[in-house]
Amino acid sequence: MIENGPELAQFALEAAETNEFDEQVADHYSNAAAAIAVGLAALASGYAERGIGAAAVGAIAEDDDMFVPGIVMTVLPETLVIFAIVVIFLV
Amino acid sequence: MSTGASNPEYVNARVRSRRASLFAEEDYRKLIRMGPSGIARFMEETEYDREINELGTRFSGVDLIEYALNRNLARHFDDLLKWSDGTVYDRIARYLRKFDVWNLKTIIRGIYTDTDPETIQTDLIRAGELPDSTLDRLVEVDSIEDAIDVLYGTDFYDALSGAFEDYEETGALVPLENALDREFYEHLLDDLGRPTEGPNALYVEFLQAEIDFRNARNALRLARSGADLDPAAYYIDGGVLFTESELSRLVGEYDELVDHIAENKRYGDRLSTAFDRLRDAESLIQFEHALEAALLEYADRLSSIYPVSISAVLSYILAKEREVENIRAIARGREVGLTETEIEEELVIL
Repeated sequence: MIENGPELAQFALEAAETNEFDEQVADHYSNAAAAIAVGLAALASGYAERGIGAAAVGAIAEDDDMFVPGIVMTVLPETLVIFAIVVIFLV
Repeated sequence: MSTGASNPEYVNARVRSRRASLFAEEDYRKLIRMGPSGIARFMEETEYDREINELGTRFSGVDLIEYALNRNLARHFDDLLKWSDGTVYDRIARYLRKFDVWNLKTIIRGIYTDTDPETIQTDLIRAGELPDSTLDRLVEVDSIEDAIDVLYGTDFYDALSGAFEDYEETGALVPLENALDREFYEHLLDDLGRPTEGPNALYVEFLQAEIDFRNARNALRLARSGADLDPAAYYIDGGVLFTESELSRLVGEYDELVDHIAENKRYGDRLSTAFDRLRDAESLIQFEHALEAALLEYADRLSSIYPVSISAVLSYILAKEREVENIRAIARGREVGLTETEIEEELVIL
């Protein structure tokens, strides 16, 4: 799925060069591609946060002072989604 | 056995935090200079406070320290089992069954010597997999045969009922105790296979080291004491250091036995300092301490190779056990009036 993303966009752009109607279709295609890209990025960061979150809760259970570092560490993979949002503005 | 996804991250985070709060070398230096009541007071300011406060009204002096240590150990290891799920639980429980063996031995000895249930209770370390209710029932029974019946359905039932005949013939507890030890060690490596890489391979390697060191210790003790016992009866299968026939042959030849262990590829280098000491000194205790230290160091090294794996838990279990042993050695040593250097020799500090 992930590696097909750029191809899908490429295909859409090529199609856009042909005529007016195709251009509309291509627009829809590229929006769909961007949506899939962001969605996958969100899924991936969720997976990454799963392990870190578990470890962070463990650390907080042992020592309350770990609360802030724990939260910071847990949301680090969230950057994946932030980068993925850039894709929306690019297409 | 618990099913479902395992949670190594959670268990690791908690275990590493507890590992970090174990006593450091300076703490031991301080403890060595204290008397039993001083040690108890020192422990009250550390993570042993709960146990010391609970038991403080009933016991005092070295007994207080001893029971507090046992309880604390049990609490921590019980926590390990409480936190973990799936594969991690299975792996930890497998190793902690060692305390089941310890408890069963204590109970059997207690029944054998007609000790009252209350006293047996205080000597138990409730860290294993057997539920508290089973242990409570075991403590109350009057004969060893009844005790074995209570265990019906557990892994220990078959082993014990097999050895019971021997016990009835000889009247000695050795066959029962051997059966328990054997049951534990032989099931350590069950259905793990022989993985060659990854965390599982290291887990197996660690367990093999444990078995090997146990075999080596038994062999050295037999060789040193010159006792006329069949070494094969004490041989534990599963290690890589000895085969059964090798062990039987080597027990007679003390020097060859030491050479055999020293030449082993896996352990030779790691134990070289220990071997020098064994050859020079007459003391087997020193060597046994060196073995323990080597195993501890080994577990530590494994836990840094695969950070999120079972190795960190094993290394914590070993380190915690060492700490308890060390504090006990200091307290007992002070009680009988050993000098500071003598006590220091009894400690295993990395």
